[in-house]
Amino acid sequence: MSLAGLDDPLNEGPPTAPTALAPAPVGRPNNSFARLVPNVVLIVAALFFILPLLALARFAMQKVPTVLWDWDTLFDKWSLKPLAVAFGEPEFWPAFRLSLKLAAGTVLLTMLLLLPTAIWVHLRIPRMRPVIEFVTVLPYMIPAIALVAGIKLVKPHARWFLNSDLSLIPFYVVLALPFTYRSIDAGLRAIDLRTLVDASRSLGSGWLSTIGRVLIPNLRTAIISAAFLTAAVVMGEYTIARLLLIDSLPPYQRILVGTDTQAGFGLNLLALLGTTSLFVFVSVLTKKRDRKRKSFAYAATQLAASQEPSPA
Amino acid sequence: MTDTLVVDGGRTAGAPPAARRSWAWLGVLPFFAFLFLFLIVPALSVFWNAFDTKKGFSFSAMGEAFSGQNLDAFWFSVRFSAGSAAVGVVFGTLLAYAAATATRPRWLRNTVTSFSGVAANMGGLPLAFMFLALIGKQGVLTKVLKGLGWDLYSGDFELGSVPGLITVYSYFNIPLMVLITLPAIDGLKPAWREACANLGGTSFTFWRRIGLPVLAPSLLGGFLLLFANSFSAYATAAVLTDNSMIVSRRIGFFLGGDVSIGENAVGFSLAAWMIIIMAVSMGLYWVARQRAERWQS
Amino acid sequence: MTTLDFISVRKTFGTTVALHSFDLDVREGELITLLGPSGCGKTTALRIAAGFEFADSGAVLVGGADITRTVAHKRNMGMVFQSYSLFPNLTVAKNVEFGLRTRNVAPVERHHRVAEMLELVQLTPFADRYPHQISGGQAQRVALARALAVQPRVLLLDEPLSALDAKVRTTLRDEIRRIQTEVGITTLFVTHDQEEALAISDRICVMSQGQVEQLGTPTEVYRTPTTAFVARFVGSMNEFRAEVTGPGEVAVAGSRLGAPGAIGFVTGTTLSMLVRPEDLSLGDGGLLGTVTSVTFQGATTLIGVRVDVFDQLVSADIGQGAADHLQMGDRVSVLINGANAVCEPA
Repeated sequence: MSLAGLDDPLNEGPPTAPTALAPAPVGRPNNSFARLVPNVVLIVAALFFILPLLALARFAMQKVPTVLWDWDTLFDKWSLKPLAVAFGEPEFWPAFRLSLKLAAGTVLLTMLLLLPTAIWVHLRIPRMRPVIEFVTVLPYMIPAIALVAGIKLVKPHARWFLNSDLSLIPFYVVLALPFTYRSIDAGLRAIDLRTLVDASRSLGSGWLSTIGRVLIPNLRTAIISAAFLTAAVVMGEYTIARLLLIDSLPPYQRILVGTDTQAGFGLNLLALLGTTSLFVFVSVLTKKRDRKRKSFAYAATQLAASQEPSPA
Repeated sequence: MTDTLVVDGGRTAGAPPAARRSWAWLGVLPFFAFLFLFLIVPALSVFWNAFDTKKGFSFSAMGEAFSGQNLDAFWFSVRFSAGSAAVGVVFGTLLAYAAATATRPRWLRNTVTSFSGVAANMGGLPLAFMFLALIGKQGVLTKVLKGLGWDLYSGDFELGSVPGLITVYSYFNIPLMVLITLPAIDGLKPAWREACANLGGTSFTFWRRIGLPVLAPSLLGGFLLLFANSFSAYATAAVLTDNSMIVSRRIGFFLGGDVSIGENAVGFSLAAWMIIIMAVSMGLYWVARQRAERWQS
Repeated sequence: MTTLDFISVRKTFGTTVALHSFDLDVREGELITLLGPSGCGKTTALRIAAGFEFADSGAVLVGGADITRTVAHKRNMGMVFQSYSLFPNLTVAKNVEFGLRTRNVAPVERHHRVAEMLELVQLTPFADRYPHQISGGQAQRVALARALAVQPRVLLLDEPLSALDAKVRTTLRDEIRRIQTEVGITTLFVTHDQEEALAISDRICVMSQGQVEQLGTPTEVYRTPTTAFVARFVGSMNEFRAEVTGPGEVAVAGSRLGAPGAIGFVTGTTLSMLVRPEDLSLGDGGLLGTVTSVTFQGATTLIGVRVDVFDQLVSADIGQGAADHLQMGDRVSVLINGANAVCEPA
């Protein structure tokens, strides 16, 4: 798993495209040579990122062995069939189902744990926010490989709990924490939490009702983003699963390559496309939310301003 | 945004501040308890074992984990992680700059940011297979290059070597750097550039005395983040190569066998050292990031 | 002789014409303000002077020398930007020193000059602070010091007060004027705030849509606006429907009054007559209306009157005494003095 959950200093959430407000470019190259360099960089970058993908696709879908691979055989024997082979394998479905269960469980537990905590922090102890933010960096200080070492040690002491495959879920919650906390935090900052809560409470709504009927619908984007990101993390998590001998999808992705290389590559290609689309979806969602938020925030401040002196 | 709003929904408005505050802390207790149980406890047990505590306190395992072949492994891992971070910083910044200053076509910047957001998270197995497919022994690019006269594998290059790992890890390190650096580059106000020119400075003057110094915390922070990212990666390395000089793989080897606590103190020491290195890098990253944000507002 | 001249400067951005054919002579030591709404071309003109944009055609001269094609960093002009132009990684002193360093001035002289400049803007104790540790107003003073440190030939100010609080704005604008006269530097000041322009300029160049509407002293521009645009933009105006009844004479709701501004219009034409609040007074025989607001301003009182016949709100600046007992709802009669009115076809 990468550390990409940390990168955004604007705290807009996990690495999705920051809303591009097209600022005036600084130091825009003025002469034609200087304009050439950025373009060359972009083209080389594009190649570097697309070629491996194409290579994977080729191995997954083209039945021509490398030895025979040449200009004349470039377009021979491409077929989508190898992608489907995995689905026919007996071990695939249990592995896939297990990963789905783990993902679902992780999402659920994350929401149960994070939503109340994040709301509480925003409402009651805003001063603690930097502390919590730092705490969400902790999972990076204890990377998966080290974490699994610890888990192995603790396991014999809690056999009743840790024998089930689903015992992985709390650890996955920890692993996904940087992404999910950021996502929910960004969502909370995009809505005027204080005002919504006060409005809802003053109209007679209790806490649970406020959370369920007011806050959660307004946090939809953040929650869905967090859920998708978690799913992507869990569906791709290999380290802990492999070392604890759990039969989830990623270990199977590797095993299949050993038994049927092409089908294995095909499966990995599909997995890649799957997690990628989850990230893309999240990115689209948050951009839409940020664009809408600007008008919401404006309306909210108008409303607030009309009722009381604006906070300093 | 004021943070003096340590008021609750008006219920205990009359309560003395001390009581109010301590009550509020209880709300985050479940969260901290959870983290403690599922993150801190395993980490602590790693250290517990690394110090061989069953037999009393001893540094010997930690020492062994940092000498001989293990030390070579740490050195190897630091080398490829630093190299990977350096490549990521340089190319990521260049790419971010190219994207930030491109005005036509208009979709370019958004495409780069969206793609980076996705690619930065691409680690694990598919990444390894992508590169195996591209520049593995049977890779398509390997074949093309051989045709052009350059045999990648003529020397002792392999995907698990330093250059190999640097290449593969750049796939997520570069986008990660782009994501970190773009906001920083956006934060370089046009007025600074113009003021510099107005006061007689050239482009070079600007970058040397203002641009790069202002970007420095972001660049340094980026380096640290990329370093930590590369150092701790396991899945990709596990598939790419058998090289036991990669510390994360090494730990995996130790853990792969049966957990016999006493004998594997060295394995846990390796993990403990890794945690220490990661904690230091991420701690420094955090500091650098706070600095960088100061200049972005 | 550090004069600044624009000669028939034309600039287009794509299909928009920012400046049609801009001519302006800024005399030595003078402070001229380019005043106008956004999009009028004032900022473009300034940026062309600074060298951040290049004119499509025409010329820019400084002290008689043609700098039209000279690159920005060789022009030796001082510029103060709207906001955020201080280099964040340098202290106040190092910011001020920047231009001196690029000119390779010796350290001793640099320190001396920086101290002098900080003294001029009264920020000496702040020398070692960083930009994020000082207020907006202080930052602009540092920016001014920085621009003047290199003894430029011309000083350019791009809406330097727009980003500041109202109170800071007034004190700082007087500061800027004081320093400018003290140093005696030829200055071009851009703003959209007419009050600012009236307060500090030697001359004002009112602009609209890439053209110069009027160039004159503050008094001229205020008292005798030559176009309706200038009349409306500078100060506030009341607008009346009037009919020309003779040379220099109009009728407003039936009553005739003299209006030199109507000379040249054919009898019978309907005009829009623009009258300043201070040219309205209370007295019998005028337009009847109801008082809607009374704002005491010290020397004068501003009253809003809803005039019956037009159902229109006018404001009248009434001297003390005449307005003493007025209250909302009172019935009054408003007299118009057409001596300074500006007329345009309705």
